[in-house]
Amino acid sequence: MDAHKPQTPVLDIQGLAISYETRRGDVPAVRDVSFQIKRGEAFSIVGESGCGKSTVAFGIVNFLGRNGRIVDGRILFQGQDLVGQSPEELRRIRGDRIAMVYQDPMAALNPSMRIGDQMAEVLIVHRHMKPREAEDACVEMLKRVHMPDPANVVRRYPHQLSGGQQQRVVIGMALLNDPALLIMDEPTTALDVTVEAAVLDLVRELQHEFQTAIMYISHNLGVVARVSHRVAVMYAGEIVERASVQDLFARPQHPYTQGLLRCVPRLGSDKRDSVLYPIRGRVPSPSALPPGCIFEPRCEYAREDCRLRKPELRQLYADHLARCHFAEEIRETVWQQPEDLLAHIAMPPDNTAEPILRVQNAKTYYQAPSRKLFSREKLLVKAVDDVSIEIKKGHTLGIVGESGCGKSTLVKTIVGMERPTGGEFEFMGVDISGPVSTRKLDTIREMQMVFQNPDSTLNPSFSVGYQIGRPLRRFKTVPANQVRDEVVRLLDMMKLGERYYDRYPRQLSGGEKQRVGIARAIAARPGLVLCDEPVSALDVSVQAAVLNLLLEIQKELGATLAFIAHDLSVVRFFCDRIAVMYLGKVVEIGPSEAIYGPPYHPYTEALLSAVPIPDPRAEQKHVRLLGAVPSALNPPSGCRFHTRCPRKVGDICEREEPPWLDNGNGHRIACHIPLEELRSMEAVITVPSASTRA
Amino acid sequence: MLVKDYMTRHPLMATLQMSVVEAQKFMGENKIRHLPVVGDGKRLLGLVTRQRLLVDPARLGSLSVWDIARTLSSLKVSDVMLKVPEVVTIDSNLTIEEAASMMVEKRIGCLPVVEKGILVGILTELDLLAQLSELMAAREHGVRVTIRMPSGVSGELAKLVSAIAARGWGIEACGGSPSPKAPGKWDAVVKLKVTMDEALAALGQIPDQEIVDIREV
Repeated sequence: MDAHKPQTPVLDIQGLAISYETRRGDVPAVRDVSFQIKRGEAFSIVGESGCGKSTVAFGIVNFLGRNGRIVDGRILFQGQDLVGQSPEELRRIRGDRIAMVYQDPMAALNPSMRIGDQMAEVLIVHRHMKPREAEDACVEMLKRVHMPDPANVVRRYPHQLSGGQQQRVVIGMALLNDPALLIMDEPTTALDVTVEAAVLDLVRELQHEFQTAIMYISHNLGVVARVSHRVAVMYAGEIVERASVQDLFARPQHPYTQGLLRCVPRLGSDKRDSVLYPIRGRVPSPSALPPGCIFEPRCEYAREDCRLRKPELRQLYADHLARCHFAEEIRETVWQQPEDLLAHIAMPPDNTAEPILRVQNAKTYYQAPSRKLFSREKLLVKAVDDVSIEIKKGHTLGIVGESGCGKSTLVKTIVGMERPTGGEFEFMGVDISGPVSTRKLDTIREMQMVFQNPDSTLNPSFSVGYQIGRPLRRFKTVPANQVRDEVVRLLDMMKLGERYYDRYPRQLSGGEKQRVGIARAIAARPGLVLCDEPVSALDVSVQAAVLNLLLEIQKELGATLAFIAHDLSVVRFFCDRIAVMYLGKVVEIGPSEAIYGPPYHPYTEALLSAVPIPDPRAEQKHVRLLGAVPSALNPPSGCRFHTRCPRKVGDICEREEPPWLDNGNGHRIACHIPLEELRSMEAVITVPSASTRA
Repeated sequence: MLVKDYMTRHPLMATLQMSVVEAQKFMGENKIRHLPVVGDGKRLLGLVTRQRLLVDPARLGSLSVWDIARTLSSLKVSDVMLKVPEVVTIDSNLTIEEAASMMVEKRIGCLPVVEKGILVGILTELDLLAQLSELMAAREHGVRVTIRMPSGVSGELAKLVSAIAARGWGIEACGGSPSPKAPGKWDAVVKLKVTMDEALAALGQIPDQEIVDIREV
């Protein structure tokens, strides 16, 4: 239909190379990057941290910082080369025709200006509009981004909006000037899954309406599958594969892409589809690149030639390029699945085991500061409100929910970091509802925790070996003269090795720090390990490696695991039972397989509909939740989910707490909808049966 | 069928500083015949066409060879462009027929689309021609029938459509205009996915209407 229109791409990057000047010489962060984005097209660059994708974006908008330089190549924006333009010209082009949206909306918005004023600024400065006119245009744009009550929102400050609403404002601001190119750098990474789904819907709708070309940067293959037309995969500064989104996911040609897709959990039809196979090795540092193909040290198909010659990005078939000497000869079916991983799934948990942890009617309330200056009102944040769970020995329980659901608080209460307000807590036959100081040393030793952010949980002043040894010394599980040997043994188990003993946390990568955290947690051989989102902060391939490591350890130690995640796809292959939490309560709990098929609690259904699936062929229901999570200060009466529930039955949802419905086999759902009706729901996700993986 | 649906959004544009030489190269490389010139905020300031790039010999008459070369190379688009009050622009909410009539009336090939002075798109004769062939479903195979009927009489087109509907056929395209060479008559053109014989049989017998052209396309 548009064949007669000028075909000049909005963005045409040719052989782009960007280097950073450092004291030790030039670091070639980006090399030989080429791609085009046409009008109205969504192009994604996907890659792990450090691959250079953000650097490419900064290069386009001339945001490289003082020591970054474009050393080669052309950036043609609407036919004109941006490299070599005067700063004045660039400023005009960037302001009027290119817009950028970043990861953290709170950082992009000025906290001291009202939303309306900030948005209007864009129009007043670039288009010389009058303030009145500009404000009207802003209200119009807020309506376009589906912001409820826009006339009111323009008067508010950023901190008065939720994360999802802030991101909508930022997107609206970016589109105010009708840019030809919109660059989005991980815009939904900081958002909850259900909010992310709504924002992605919005981006697609707006793109269609405004015919804006979008460059989407992400590490999340699921998001990329949902929003893009075409994709480029970057590794260590180079594009290793480039194709249409269907083609890339259906027939990945480059070994790195194939490896990446195997690391990403897929909500497929059964548990086997959810197994994660990590890529061995590490990403090379840009100052020490391999001489030949940059992926060669980690490639399972590498040959002598790969070490000697650098491969070009060449066309394999229509619109599908890969940077590999022998891509045609690699058949994915030849790839062998590691047998031991499959064995883990094949082994069912021992259902006859006794529960090691029993929590009944747990309540953890915080006191919130009163809103009035002098007042007796007691404001309670009901973070955990009447939760009952139990974990059998040797099993893994996954706890899933979005921010504010209370999962972290629950786990902290169990481990003793928070005081429970009520309920019974029994661990290995011992009552642990009292303060931590009343617990016996042995009880403390048996329950350990792995934290979310590896940066803040390791003491930067002490060496790795010292920190792992600390629980051994504290709990006296080995004689003092054998502590070092035991630490080395643990380091080996973590696949790190003795040479890490004397290193400091700052010398380690995120994945390595997390392994140290795990080593420290299991050092004293606890019976129960609580993991609070241990892999959320890590790259996809590192996540896969750490999760598999946890699995191995669990089998070896016979430990029980409680695993918190915000992402339903990660926990599937990993956990035996899963509990879904919403606003302080458990809404659904059962064997992990039962959670992914009907009957669903309506919230679980919405969560599954929101998770971006890294498979463009998968059909996923489109259930979206309206509004934001209510405040835990004043949770809704009756069923807490009723304010957002797409399947709300009626008044009963507002008046009464929902009963537990028993679906058999330990699967329970808290809902007023009769079980029969829930059973007849359609499955949220259907994947075409032919799997492309071996 | 409004202008906003058929215009080219985010058209290639130039700024005032672009030299005439650059503009010529740019238009050639990107195969465009009209280049809007914009200022801050994409405010339309002028329009450059191939014709405007041809420099009037009268301007150069008195200069020496070297001066000519220098003058030519220093010319900017702002020196040769058609400036804004004279540039004919349209609103994106207009119908494409209105846009087409404007182009015919003013004998121009390109209409920049503006909103409050800001360039939001461009509509060229090529867009309208492409749309014309879409209107008549030029890419579809079938039988194309031109039927002449009296104009100014209501119900005539309805007779044609009923005849087609009576057979249960679908209409791929349908258009019409006053007959070019027969005053008082109106030509309707329909495209049907049927055989010539079937079409003749169905439409040849409508009272007061005659088939003036029928062909397979």
